[in-house]
Amino acid sequence: MPDRRSPVDLLSPASRAYGAIEPPSSSPRWGMVVDTERCIGCWSCAVVCKSENNVPLGMWWNRILTEGEGLDLPTTEHGREEMSWTPLACQHCDNAPCVKVCPVQATYRREDGVVMMDSARCIGCRYCMIACPYGVRTFNWGAPARPNGLETGMVEARPVGTVEKCTLCVHRLEEGQVPSCVWSCPAGARIFGDLDDPDSRVSRLVRDRQGEMLLEEKGTLPKVRYLPPRRRREL
Amino acid sequence: MTVSRRRFLKGAAAVGATTAAAAGGAGFVLLGRDHPAVAASEGVDRVVRTTCSPNCTGSCGQLAFVRDGKVVKVQQAADYPDTAYNPRGCMKGISYHTLIHGRDRILTPLIRTGERGSGEFRRATWDEVLDRIAGDMKRIGERWGYDSIHVFGQVPGSGYIQKGANYRASALLGLTHGTSFDFNGDLPMGMPITFGVQNAEHEAKDWANSRFLLLIGANPVETRIPDVHFLFDALERGAQMVVVDPNFSGTASKADTWLQIRPGTDAALGLGLAREIVVRELADFDFLRTYTDAPLLVRLDTGVRLREADVVAGGSDARFAIWDEAAGQPAWVGTERLGMPDGTRAAVSGTYRVRLADGSAVQVAPGFELVWRELERWTGDRTAEVTGISAEMIGRLAHAYAATKPAAILMGGGANHWFHGDLTGRAMGLLASMTGNIGRSGGGFSVYVGQYKVRVNVGPWNNPDGVKAHIVPSIYFVRGRSDTMHPDVPYPANGFHGLVVTFANMFVQAPDVNRLHQTLAGLDLVVVVDHQMTETVRWADVVLPAATWYEKTDLTATPLHPFLQLQQAAIDPVGESRTELWMWRELVRRIAPDQAAAMDVSEDEAIEMILAAGADGPTKGITLADLRAGPVRLNVPDPDIPFLKQIEDLEPFPPVSLPAPIEATAAFLPTRRIELYKEEQRFRDLGETVPTYRDPHDDGVHDPAVYPLTFLTPHSKWRIHSTYGNNPWLAEIHGGRPKLLIHPDDASRRGIEPGDLVEVYNTRGAFRAWAEVSEAAGIGSVTLPEGWWPRDFAAGKGVNELTTSEVNPIHEVHFVANMWSPSTGWKDCRCDVRRIAGSSDA
Amino acid sequence: MTAHAEPRAPAGAQRRVGGFGLWLGLLALLMLVGFGAWVYQVSNGLAVTNLRNTVMWGQYILFFMFFVGLSAGGLIVASSGRLFGATRFGPIVRLAVLEATVAVMLAAIFLFPDIGRPERLWHLFRYPNLTSPMIWDIAIVTVYFALSALYVWLYTRADLAAAGSRLALGTSASVEARARDDRLKGALAWVALPAAVLLHSITAWIFGLQISRGFWYTAIMAPMFVASALVSGLALVILLALVVRRVGRLRFDDGLVAYLGGLLAVFISVEAFFVLSEALTAAYPGAEFEGDPIARMLTGQFAPLFWFEVGVGLLVPFVMLARRGWRASPRVVAIAAGIAIVGIYVHRLNLVLNGLAVSPIGLPPGVSIGTPQDGASFAMSNWYVPSAIEWLIVIGVLAFGAFVFTMAARWLPLEPTDH
Ligand SMILES: Nc1nc2c(c(=O)[nH]1)N[C@H]1C(S)=C(S)[C@@H](COP(=O)(O)OP(=O)(O)OC[C@H]3O[C@@H](n4cnc5c(=O)[nH]c(N)nc54)[C@H](O)[C@@H]3O)O[C@H]1N2
Ligand SMILES: Nc1nc2c(c(=O)[nH]1)N[C@H]1C(S)=C(S)[C@@H](COP(=O)(O)OP(=O)(O)OC[C@H]3O[C@@H](n4cnc5c(=O)[nH]c(N)nc54)[C@H](O)[C@@H]3O)O[C@H]1N2
Ligand code: SF4
Ligand code: SF4
Ligand code: SF4
Ligand code: SF4
Ligand code: SF4
Ligand SMILES: [Mo]
Repeated sequence: MPDRRSPVDLLSPASRAYGAIEPPSSSPRWGMVVDTERCIGCWSCAVVCKSENNVPLGMWWNRILTEGEGLDLPTTEHGREEMSWTPLACQHCDNAPCVKVCPVQATYRREDGVVMMDSARCIGCRYCMIACPYGVRTFNWGAPARPNGLETGMVEARPVGTVEKCTLCVHRLEEGQVPSCVWSCPAGARIFGDLDDPDSRVSRLVRDRQGEMLLEEKGTLPKVRYLPPRRRREL
Repeated sequence: MTVSRRRFLKGAAAVGATTAAAAGGAGFVLLGRDHPAVAASEGVDRVVRTTCSPNCTGSCGQLAFVRDGKVVKVQQAADYPDTAYNPRGCMKGISYHTLIHGRDRILTPLIRTGERGSGEFRRATWDEVLDRIAGDMKRIGERWGYDSIHVFGQVPGSGYIQKGANYRASALLGLTHGTSFDFNGDLPMGMPITFGVQNAEHEAKDWANSRFLLLIGANPVETRIPDVHFLFDALERGAQMVVVDPNFSGTASKADTWLQIRPGTDAALGLGLAREIVVRELADFDFLRTYTDAPLLVRLDTGVRLREADVVAGGSDARFAIWDEAAGQPAWVGTERLGMPDGTRAAVSGTYRVRLADGSAVQVAPGFELVWRELERWTGDRTAEVTGISAEMIGRLAHAYAATKPAAILMGGGANHWFHGDLTGRAMGLLASMTGNIGRSGGGFSVYVGQYKVRVNVGPWNNPDGVKAHIVPSIYFVRGRSDTMHPDVPYPANGFHGLVVTFANMFVQAPDVNRLHQTLAGLDLVVVVDHQMTETVRWADVVLPAATWYEKTDLTATPLHPFLQLQQAAIDPVGESRTELWMWRELVRRIAPDQAAAMDVSEDEAIEMILAAGADGPTKGITLADLRAGPVRLNVPDPDIPFLKQIEDLEPFPPVSLPAPIEATAAFLPTRRIELYKEEQRFRDLGETVPTYRDPHDDGVHDPAVYPLTFLTPHSKWRIHSTYGNNPWLAEIHGGRPKLLIHPDDASRRGIEPGDLVEVYNTRGAFRAWAEVSEAAGIGSVTLPEGWWPRDFAAGKGVNELTTSEVNPIHEVHFVANMWSPSTGWKDCRCDVRRIAGSSDA
Repeated sequence: MTAHAEPRAPAGAQRRVGGFGLWLGLLALLMLVGFGAWVYQVSNGLAVTNLRNTVMWGQYILFFMFFVGLSAGGLIVASSGRLFGATRFGPIVRLAVLEATVAVMLAAIFLFPDIGRPERLWHLFRYPNLTSPMIWDIAIVTVYFALSALYVWLYTRADLAAAGSRLALGTSASVEARARDDRLKGALAWVALPAAVLLHSITAWIFGLQISRGFWYTAIMAPMFVASALVSGLALVILLALVVRRVGRLRFDDGLVAYLGGLLAVFISVEAFFVLSEALTAAYPGAEFEGDPIARMLTGQFAPLFWFEVGVGLLVPFVMLARRGWRASPRVVAIAAGIAIVGIYVHRLNLVLNGLAVSPIGLPPGVSIGTPQDGASFAMSNWYVPSAIEWLIVIGVLAFGAFVFTMAARWLPLEPTDH
């Protein structure tokens, strides 16, 4: 086994500083803010997620929904075209249905609020997929297919017959780096931080710009919050 | 999976954490059974910083994470010292490893075995292919002359060394090098005509300083993904954004107001706005007097400017007249400095009588008087009739644009890619000038198009001992020479007999592609250098496998940001692929051994050459070592804004456009001022002396009655042209099927349902794709983004079967390659659509 | 007044043994094929099914529910016989409890093909998560199986002992012993009935507690599930009883068949009542937005299934059984029972498919399918038809069930010995 080093240690100081979780938090409740005004539906966050986590073809942990008639197509509201994007990955619900229903505790909630899975324990019953109101879980139905067989990313692949989803890039959190999708959003539409720290950028944004929960009525208490689009100033 | 000791310890530590987590778990869920802790990332062998440089303008710093000699992750370096630029990169760039190691990667040299285009090749050794090419080139060179071999390589700005090697070798061997900025239709001819420069845009960061953003035919949300956040920064600071686009683009979805314009009529909109601004007395005439030719007198008898020599015996030809209202007589202005003579009050309207040296008298009028005579005709109603935008909306827009300072015009390919795109550019240039937005942070008239910009002195590298390659606009390769072609164009005496395509997917991306195919008959040799099995590769006789920018060294920059960056090898060239420099070195050695020494330069040495050449200019104080460490800001103002010297120090226009010498481009502006009025003969013949409007032309072959639809081919967010067209991850998202965007009305009129298989056709060609019926489309135009691979269509070679290769004579008034040279009108194209089959059976 | 079915002549027995052999051969073949299909599925993953992220539960879960429902018949006949002195069940009680045992066993077996890692099934017992309805269900299924197995034994023990069978586990066939059995059975009934009700409720709650799926998230789920279980369970008992009588292993008069038919009609009307009140409650507000499951059920995609369930599955059998004259004919009762079972199957099908037909967040491009596609990897609408493999496996399991039942019916004394 060649002597390898953590990709984080190999970053240049500038890059490393860019990705550092600021401010670091001792007992965090990690959350994310998505600014739908800034989101341009580019899928960079979804693609880098696939790359970072070695997600096979046909499976996506993160996807970008178009609020419109079709992919990147507007709806026409009384003679007026409108369109916006809603990136969607695991919401890391504080009251997570998937955790409740998992018969073997393979899906569990970590102290830092991350809803995590234990691929070695999962029996593949897919009850969590039934329970998740956000449709963000995906199952390893068969042998994974990859582009020309290319294995990518920084974590182990999950076994056939088990379920997987966004892990909030826990492997990066371990090293004080923001999740990959947050790093790679070119529009600055994804902000990561500690929801329990009232002064963190995420907390402030949620306060100042009325961050919303997706399907709040389901009572799942998501830790991903969405900032609504700004009001337009017609000519 | 590698378990380093570090990780194991982390793991152990975290077990406790997760166990505890379990206890304090969600709701009333009981947990507590230990789970293996999630360890840190898996280790990698290397992380290398390079630069993504397709033909994109992004030029985004990327990190390549390498394990077992493969790139396992690409992610933005986000290491720009100016952190406003972090991160830079899009979903395409960060999935490039699926192409580096993808199924379309060319691994060895190939020699054609079947018919051209059959795609039948056999593997060959480098020696075999190099000898073959050298032999053929010699034969062609001796029979027809080496200049009959056309080297087509795209956008030099995105790789000065490897692409420079094309120029260097062409110079050494006497080959003809093609052009790209003009060929791509990106060269905004309004720029050289009005400002005497190739192009001059503000760095993207400066968008954030704008209070009013007017986007004309630009779709940054999809085509400037790494920069678009600067628009949002401006909006968050209260700026207003208006998007002018026939389609509801991604950018339109972010606009305060979307103006759905009739395709190809932006010049009319510009003129209508200009008139409103004058009428509402919002025009900045002091600016016009100081910096433009607005006050310069034009003889109404000839249409040529009144010069000192006309009036004063022995007077200068380079001194121009203004009408000094204070003295009631002409006064003279030279070209050495901008501004007006002290104490004069220069007229910008009216007509005057001047007595010439020969005693005769002529009517003269200030340039702006003539401009105004055109503007006058563009009443709100007329403009509305042409553009489809209501008169009062035009009024409101004019007011908002002129009254809010600074206001920026961002123009894109959508407005520029027209036969008369130059007129649109001139109209926008007029708007920016008459509102004093030139040379002003947050303002300006920026045309963001291809990655054309040569920001450094490539002279010593591209031109060995000052010897330059013959440069012939590639449009003449496709279409043959035009009657109006500029005499300085070194069109080969015996025409073209060989073609080398490198860094380009010519047979997909070139206009009028069926015409391009006809040229094949006359070609004894077609060489294609690429690393993906593109359509163009299929038409090659010999294929040379190229290394990607993850496998070689290069130097790049872009118009969008002012950082000079390296491409650095993260992995060894995949398969037997090689660098372009190496290929040319080997070819020159075989064809002209006496010249071989000139190619015996390493990438690093070449970079040193370029840095040295610009040591007192753009590359001042920049060393190779700095570049290895990361991106380095060029020696340019911050923010990087054009025309500062002109506006602040009254230096005459134009600033230099590298790599051309200043004399070459200065010739575009005899007055050395912003020229709203053009006096050259052909402008007068064609009645385009002042900014005006002409209907879309499309080679004059398509009667709108027969071909009622305009065929628009903008750029796709999912690709860079054809690059990434075979990206498996992105195909999962967009479905991998070319879709023709058509308005419900146009669709129902033709019995077309969503998903139906349709044929798009005109006199030049036809192809088949699938209908996407949506109100996002304008009525009367259909849209299918360029760059789809032919294999993805149901039939046909793709969108460029329909586009035109027509040359606008105005673009041939002067000739400086890529600067005043024929610019392609991609969007200037008519067609009709017919239903072929239902969505189910399609 | 109908006569007792005559005991068969040896000759007939001979013929039938031949048929019996064929029958066993057929079952063996089907079991083999089914097992092969399962091995294939295990080695290639669930990708060989038509299940995907869009519809992640299908055929297997469906049959799990279905057989849980079918198992109802047995204990209800048995214990209600005890508790409410419905003595008329007498002749078929043993068959009923046997049916229950086999049915619930099959239900459990259907979990194996359904999960992605069958070899980890033991995790259910090693790491149970008490908040998961699935764990509750596993528990109750186990208990229920034990109960019904015990029932079977209690009912047959004495006769086995009399016949000197080892299955009697050395217990005696004495009168006292039989009396004690009766007391035990009586006591057991008090546990068995609630257990049965719980079994069906919990299985219903697996679905009914999921706020993520509008169509399932309703309080009526459990009662409706019990009702449908009664229908299918009793119907199956009737059919099996007639078959076993046919092959001469059981004797009872057509009066009983008519009586059971009547009872079935009652169960059907209860089921119908729940279906109606559910549909009405959901449809009344007239929420006709796209992605409204009730709209889909009444008028949309699933209307054919739903109206089949109501029309053919409930109405027809009810009518057939409602009139005393008609249900006097065993043939009619048999047909009605058969139709009712199909009706309940369709009801379950509707429940699963419609519940999953539309993803909770119905925005384009939809959810990622889970396996590479030649087009986009996302889907908006979720349609599902079981794959050949899924069918083969199901058939295999059914064959196994038939085999177990056949053997039991062959070797266990199903005839009550009256004293
Ligand atoms: N993702 C991506 N980014 C790219 C590229 C790519 O291929 N893909 N290519 C790069 C290069 S080389 C270039 S040149 C640029 C080009 O990118 P842009 O400058 O954005 O040009 P286009 O995409 O051609 O067209 C932009 C918009 O103009 C609209 N349009 C079409 N006709 C008209 C018209 O007549 N008037 C007006 N007002 N609008 C019109 C189109 O609907 C489209 O929404 O993008 C660069 N960036
Ligand atoms: N209909 C229509 N057509 C258009 C346009 C339009 O708007 N409408 N836009 C035009 C414009 S603006 C432009 S800029 C052109 C772009 O035209 P092109 O630049 O020809 O388009 P690309 O698809 O980017 O082709 C780049 C090719 O270079 C290859 N390549 C990448 N890296 C290397 C390398 O290191 N070495 C070598 N040798 N090759 C490499 C890629 O694999 C790819 O095949 O398209 C034009 N075509
Ligand atoms: S990367 Fe950022 S902008 Fe792009 S889709 Fe994701 S959130 Fe939206
Ligand atoms: S989003 Fe779904 S998967 Fe993620 S925690 Fe919530 S319920 Fe579980
Ligand atoms: S699929 Fe795995 S994670 Fe999901 S509920 Fe079943 S066992 Fe738990
Ligand atoms: S946090 Fe990590 S795993 Fe989750 S979506 Fe972002 S990149 Fe993917
Ligand atoms: S494709 Fe263009 S925008 Fe995307 S990363 Fe590469 S250079 Fe940047
Ligand atoms: Mo371009």
